[in-house]
Amino acid sequence: MHRRMRDWARLRTRLRTRPWMYIALRLTSPLAFAPLALLCGCNSPGYPPPPAKTPGEITSFATLYAQNCDSCHGSNGQDGPALDLANPEYLALADDATLRKFTAEGVTGTEMPAFATSAGGMLTDAQIDALVTGMRKAWSKPNAFVGAVPPPYAQAKAGDPRHGEQTYQTRCAGCHKNSPDEEITSPVYLALVSDQGLRTVIIAGRPDIGQPDWRHDAPGGKLTTPLSASDVEDVVAYLASLRTPTLPGRVQAQTSAKIPNQRTASKKRSQTLSASAAVRGAK
Amino acid sequence: MAENDPSQPQAPTLPTADLSVLPAGAQDPRLVSRRWLFFKAGLAINALVGIGLAIPIIRFLFASWRRDSSYESWISLGPIESFPAGQTRLAVFKNPFTRPLDGITDYVACYVRHVASNQFQVFAVNCAHLGCPVRWFPQSQLFMCPCHGGVYYADGSRASGPPERGLFTYDWKIVSGELEIFAGQMPTLSNSAKLVNISIGEGKSPCRG
Amino acid sequence: MPRITRSQRMYDWFERRLQIEGPIKDAALHQVPRETASWWYVFGSGAFTLFLFQVVTGILLAIIYVPSAGEAWNSLNVLNHQIPLGWYLRALHGWGSNFMVAIVFIHMTQVFLFGAYKFPRELTWIFGVFLLILTLGMAFTGQVLRFDQDAYWGLGIGISMVSRVPVIGGGLVHLLLGGPIMAGTTLARFFDLHVFVIPGLLFGFAGLHIWMVLKLGINEWPMPGRLVRRATYVEEYNRLAHEDGIPFIPGAFWKDLVFSAAMVAAVAVCAWIFGPSGPGGPPDPAIIQTNPKPDFPFLWIFSILAYLPPALETPVILVAPVLAILALFAVPLVAGEGEKSWRRRPVAVLAVAFIAVAWGEFTQLGTTTPWSPHMDAWSSDSIPVRYLRTATPLARQGANVFQEKQCRNCHSIGGLGGQRGPALDSVATRMTRDQLRFKVVTGGGNMPAFGKNLSAPEIEALVAFLSTLHPANEAPAYTPSRPYVTNSPP
Repeated sequence: MHRRMRDWARLRTRLRTRPWMYIALRLTSPLAFAPLALLCGCNSPGYPPPPAKTPGEITSFATLYAQNCDSCHGSNGQDGPALDLANPEYLALADDATLRKFTAEGVTGTEMPAFATSAGGMLTDAQIDALVTGMRKAWSKPNAFVGAVPPPYAQAKAGDPRHGEQTYQTRCAGCHKNSPDEEITSPVYLALVSDQGLRTVIIAGRPDIGQPDWRHDAPGGKLTTPLSASDVEDVVAYLASLRTPTLPGRVQAQTSAKIPNQRTASKKRSQTLSASAAVRGAK
Repeated sequence: MAENDPSQPQAPTLPTADLSVLPAGAQDPRLVSRRWLFFKAGLAINALVGIGLAIPIIRFLFASWRRDSSYESWISLGPIESFPAGQTRLAVFKNPFTRPLDGITDYVACYVRHVASNQFQVFAVNCAHLGCPVRWFPQSQLFMCPCHGGVYYADGSRASGPPERGLFTYDWKIVSGELEIFAGQMPTLSNSAKLVNISIGEGKSPCRG
Repeated sequence: MPRITRSQRMYDWFERRLQIEGPIKDAALHQVPRETASWWYVFGSGAFTLFLFQVVTGILLAIIYVPSAGEAWNSLNVLNHQIPLGWYLRALHGWGSNFMVAIVFIHMTQVFLFGAYKFPRELTWIFGVFLLILTLGMAFTGQVLRFDQDAYWGLGIGISMVSRVPVIGGGLVHLLLGGPIMAGTTLARFFDLHVFVIPGLLFGFAGLHIWMVLKLGINEWPMPGRLVRRATYVEEYNRLAHEDGIPFIPGAFWKDLVFSAAMVAAVAVCAWIFGPSGPGGPPDPAIIQTNPKPDFPFLWIFSILAYLPPALETPVILVAPVLAILALFAVPLVAGEGEKSWRRRPVAVLAVAFIAVAWGEFTQLGTTTPWSPHMDAWSSDSIPVRYLRTATPLARQGANVFQEKQCRNCHSIGGLGGQRGPALDSVATRMTRDQLRFKVVTGGGNMPAFGKNLSAPEIEALVAFLSTLHPANEAPAYTPSRPYVTNSPP
């Protein structure tokens, strides 16, 4: 015992008298614990990922976008069948409230569904916000219109379809030359898009599919005479006039007359009611 | 192989006391009739005590084997305004029959379909095939099951896949402006007598209740 | 008189009181036929070693694990991330389970092919069948204890199967659940089964199984033409074991030792590299965004349930397992004598091959589940850009309809999407516009009818999109007579 204590004391004096040895020991001592660190296994390939999040806890924009938007708006916000969200001009045109409203509640009459739980979707309000701020962060650009002032996002007044037709013929029909059945003038197509959707695309364009904005002849192409606010309104009014009123857009939930499983409320409780009197006894 | 080959070299054995030698008085037990009687009596007493204890033990073990009705009761899903007409919404309620150790598992999800003007259908989330949670897709107006691909129409009737019948439904009523359903246990084919689904028109549900 | 060392004196002290040396020597040195010292005979001891390994790792896990519905999932995450190497213990137990199930099946196959179940070892086989059932019972109850979404809904599948039992189905469900729903009492009783009841039975049956192996001798290497006869077998075996035999230890046992060590080492390496399974999302019944799937040993059942026609479902679920177990019990009773060598038992070899191929195929299908809709495909799988490059405005809307109406959940495009229905990459070469329209509206086969859920413009747009889906060098299908009877294009 005594001998061991004497050795330890000698080592300490030696360390004090030779500082380089002390420093070397201080530097290498963590290495002595390296096997211990290895023993926790945190670096092994099998170390499990962090605890799974519930679907409602996901707030990463990339994940949410990939799960919910990718299919129609395209992997990077473009090249999908639906509107290209990665278009900086679109993001400059529409404000956050609009983006949030469309994401949460969908767009009536079109294929854009509602995503908020309050509207029957699967996303929480925080997730909708994450999508909106994420879109802005990923794809917005400062000064998207390069100083130009586009027509306002929302329509101000009803347009003139006859003037709209002339504008369409001079400014649109040059490119829109598909068969009339499948062109944007087809009532079938028009039944599936909203006036606002038409207006948005006319103003902001769709660079991913070659639709120019309101002042170019092609995306990134030559500047032409910009369409005025009333031009845009007129073209939308013209296209809207081509709709066939009997063609509905989307099927809304059907109703059915006879429903099973209803039980009449017990008499005692029903006497306290008045509001749902019509329902009772319908069994 | 029990037999030991005598030719095998045996390890030297140590001298041991043979503790198994019977006391001198012990003889063939079959001849000692009184001790034999006591032995039988001992067995009988054990059997009696065993049977006596078996009754409470079995009752304890089978305590949960009860009539369905003892588990079920009416429970509110909230005001009917939270279920917009023409839509089907997921609703979550706390099971009427719970125990303090249930944690989150005492919640139950169901689908409420507000058909029109306070006419409802309330479906269990459990697929009628093997109980997996079906998901409602308002866009295509279909319920789809992730396990084996059972699909149901909006009214709960079977559309395709392996289920034999439509979705299980809960009885419902409206009390003080709130939607109440008669629930309490996991819907399976065994208690479907209480959860009859009567197909209403569309689809071809082979089981009409 | 030789000098007695201190350790020898201590040994003597214990042996004088325990008197265990004799039986151990008998067991260790009993003669076994020489050819049984084979690598083919190591699986039984391997399975038992893994069982003991599972007992040890299970006891260690129970130090932390909380068998309460409210806490189990949290305690698994504590094990994974807060207890040093807790994740590794979970991985060891999980991989030990996989290996144990596999080795038990291999052991059974070997015993079957070597005719080892024949007289006088019929009961050894029957107890082995019990051990198989108990091992699978351990695997299933263990899956439940990993109390996450998969475990919760996987148990729901099991309960739904039990509920199909006539008359007492409802009562059995209550008994298994310990109440009306899957909740606290349910987990507690599956913990009870996994930790006390089934392991206890396993110990009992394994003990008897091994006892009988010791008493009846290890099955001799089957020689084609050497038939088993009740009257003469025991005498023949004893002659073989004594005239051409070796003591069990060390002659045969060293291979068992090496194999067992190799198995445990393999489990340790797999656990280190692949880690524990789960837990997945919390077992919250209100979270219905889930895709439950059973663990590997039960995937084949999951697959069979997907393919059974509805009318056959209940009979198969209730009767097939009983028949299968009865058949296994009957094997040694029906074929207790005769040829042992697999070289002269073609039916046995074919049966094993058939079951192995069927099992492999169903398990493989269970890993890909082509019958399941991809629940998120409609909103997450994008359409290949090349399919949209020349699309007309209407076809583009049709693509939106295609996605939004969840067609993608069952039909793949560009390799993404569900596989329940056919892939639609070249659907236009198979179906004309009229046929597409008809199919979408009326459904048929396994497809729901969409007629009520799609408006006329939606159907037209969808058909416009689908009719663009054909390879560039292959024209779309058309109706040749159509231009003659109407004015519309084909």
